Amino acid sequence: MNVLAEGSAPYLTVDPDGFREYVREHKSRALEPKLTSAQDAVARFVADGDYLVYDCNYLQRGPSVLIREIIRQGRRDLWLCGKFTYVDVGLLVGAGCATKVDCGFFYQGKAIDRALDEGRLEIYEYSNVVMTLRLQAGAMGVPFLPVRSFGGTDGFPQSGAKLVEDPYTGRPTVVVPALNPDVALIHAHQADRYGNARVFGTGIAHMESALASRKVVVTAEEIVDTEEIRRDPGRTSIPYYAVDAVVHAPFGAYPGTCAGYYGSDTAHVVETFAAVGRDGVAGYVEKWIDPFANDGEMLAKLVGDEKLEQLRANETIREGYRP
Amino acid sequence: MTMLEAPGTKATSFNERELQIVTVARMIENARTYWVAGGGSPMYTILLGKRLYAPAAQYITEDGVIAPEPMLPFEPVMTMVASRPAYQALAWGTMNMAGNHAQLGYMDYGLLNCLQIDRYGNLNSTAVRGDDGKLRHFGGPGGADTIAAACWRTIVMTDQERRKFVERVDFISSPGFLEGTPEARERAGLPRGTGPWRVVTPWAMYDYDDERRLRLIAVAPYVTVDDVLAECECAPQVAERVETLAVPTEEELQVLRGHLDTQGQTTGVRSGWVVLEGERYVRQAGG
Repeated sequence: MNVLAEGSAPYLTVDPDGFREYVREHKSRALEPKLTSAQDAVARFVADGDYLVYDCNYLQRGPSVLIREIIRQGRRDLWLCGKFTYVDVGLLVGAGCATKVDCGFFYQGKAIDRALDEGRLEIYEYSNVVMTLRLQAGAMGVPFLPVRSFGGTDGFPQSGAKLVEDPYTGRPTVVVPALNPDVALIHAHQADRYGNARVFGTGIAHMESALASRKVVVTAEEIVDTEEIRRDPGRTSIPYYAVDAVVHAPFGAYPGTCAGYYGSDTAHVVETFAAVGRDGVAGYVEKWIDPFANDGEMLAKLVGDEKLEQLRANETIREGYRP
Repeated sequence: MTMLEAPGTKATSFNERELQIVTVARMIENARTYWVAGGGSPMYTILLGKRLYAPAAQYITEDGVIAPEPMLPFEPVMTMVASRPAYQALAWGTMNMAGNHAQLGYMDYGLLNCLQIDRYGNLNSTAVRGDDGKLRHFGGPGGADTIAAACWRTIVMTDQERRKFVERVDFISSPGFLEGTPEARERAGLPRGTGPWRVVTPWAMYDYDDERRLRLIAVAPYVTVDDVLAECECAPQVAERVETLAVPTEEELQVLRGHLDTQGQTTGVRSGWVVLEGERYVRQAGG
C-alpha cells in the first residue's frame, strides 16, 4: 500500500497475532465465577505502565470506583485512552498515575497544564471517533482501519495515523492503527458472576473496548443470575469470555450519573472540575480517596445513604434501562 | 434587507447570544439530520429550531442517540450518556454508530462550536498559541473532527472576537477547506462534497465564496460591517450586499429562557445585552 503521508507519534504496538496468542494463553473460556473486590481487581489486572481504556467517564457511567482505586493503589506510568472524558485524565495525571494520553477530548485544567510544563505528560492527538474506531479495529482483530475523518488536521502528524492510497478505489484514505489496550474498565448496569454484562442506554465504546483489551474488569450496579441473562440474551453487551473480573459496585459511577439508575452528584462534579481546573487534585485525593480502604467506606462515611437515595430518586427516567 | 425573519413579536430586549441561537434555529430544516455537538449553543439551537420551525428535523449526538425527544432541562455537562438528553430516542447506539452513520452520508448538517476559525473554515478546539508563541493545549476536538469531516454541510457557532477569526488557525482540529485549493479535502482522504457551509456569531453570519473563502453576508442590527471587521484578525471577504439579521422574537426567547437554557448557562455567557431605543437596537455598555 502506497503511504502518502504519516504521523510521527508513538502508538501502542499493533500486533493482532500477539493479541490472539494472549487470548489463547490467558483468557479463560471456562464459565467460571469472577466476582471480586475493586481492590483485588485493580491489584491483579491494572499494572504500572499499562495502556488503560475506560468507557464513558467519571461523570457519565464510567468506572469511577476503579479510577479511585487506581489512584489509591498508586499505579504509575499509565497510558490513557482519552476519548469522551472530562476530569478522569486530569485526576489520573494530577495524582501521578498517568504519563501519556491519546487525546480525543478531555477537560484540561491547570493540573494538566503543569504536568505538560514539567514534562510529565505526553499528548498524542486523535479525536473521539478516531479513537473508538481504533478500538473497533482492535476488537475486530485486524491491524488497522480506514476512517473518513482526521485527514488534513494538525492532529494527523502528531498521531499514529497514515494517509494511504486505498488499494481498492485508488483514492487517498486515512488509516489508523488498531488499539488493543492492556486493560479495559467498564461500568455496566448488570452483570452475572461470569462477566456477562449488560449496558443499558447509550455508550461510547464499551463493547469495542472490552473485546479489544487484554484484561477486562467489569463493575456492575447489580449482579444478576445467569438465568436472567439467558432469559434475554439480546441484552448482553459483553460476553463472559472477554471479562477477567466482575465487581459488584452499586454507585460505582458516583459522582457521575448511571443513566436509568441514579443522577449525578452535582456538587461533587463541580468539585472534580475545580480539582483538575485549579491543580487541586492532591486535595481531592486527600478528601475522597486516601482516608478510605475502599469506595464502600467512602460512600458510607462521606456521602451517606440519604444522599444516595436522593440521587436514585433524582433519576426519574426508567424506560429503556430495564429489560 | 433583513435576513431570516420569523413570525412573532420582535423582542425589544435580548442578548447577543440569543440572536445567534435564534438565527441558526431559523435555518433548521425539516426532514434533515443534524449531528449536534454535545453542549451549549448547538444543542439549544437544534431544540429551539425543532420546537418552533422544523419539528421534522432530527438530530443525533456523539453517544449514538438518534432522534430523541429529550426531557428538559438538562443538568450542566449532562448532555450525553445521560437519561434526559437521550429520552424517547428512536435508537440508542454508540459513538462508532454515530461516526459510521456520518461516514455513510446520513448526516446532512453538522452543528458545532470552536475556539478559532480561519479564512478557509478550518476549526480549532485543541490548542491556542499564547503571546510567548507556545501552543497551549486545551482539550481536543472530541466529536468535532468527525462532524466537520463527514457531515455534508457544517454550521459553526462561535464568538465574534479578533483572536477567533484568524488567517490560519493555530491547530486544525476539524477540517474546513484546509489550504483552500480545489479538492484539498478529498486529497486528505475526506468524503467528497462535504465541507464548511455557514458560520454564525452573535454579530454576524458568513458563508464561503466560490474560492472557498469565508465571506461576511449579514450583520446584526446593533453592529456595522466595520464593527464586525474590527473583530476579525483576518478580514473575511465581504458580500456585495450585506444583509441585516432579524432580531429574536418574544416567542423564541420564551422557549429559550423558559424551557431550554433555564439557568442562563449558555445564553448568559460572554454576551452583551441589546435593547431597542427608539427605532434602533443598541448594545448596552459593558456588554
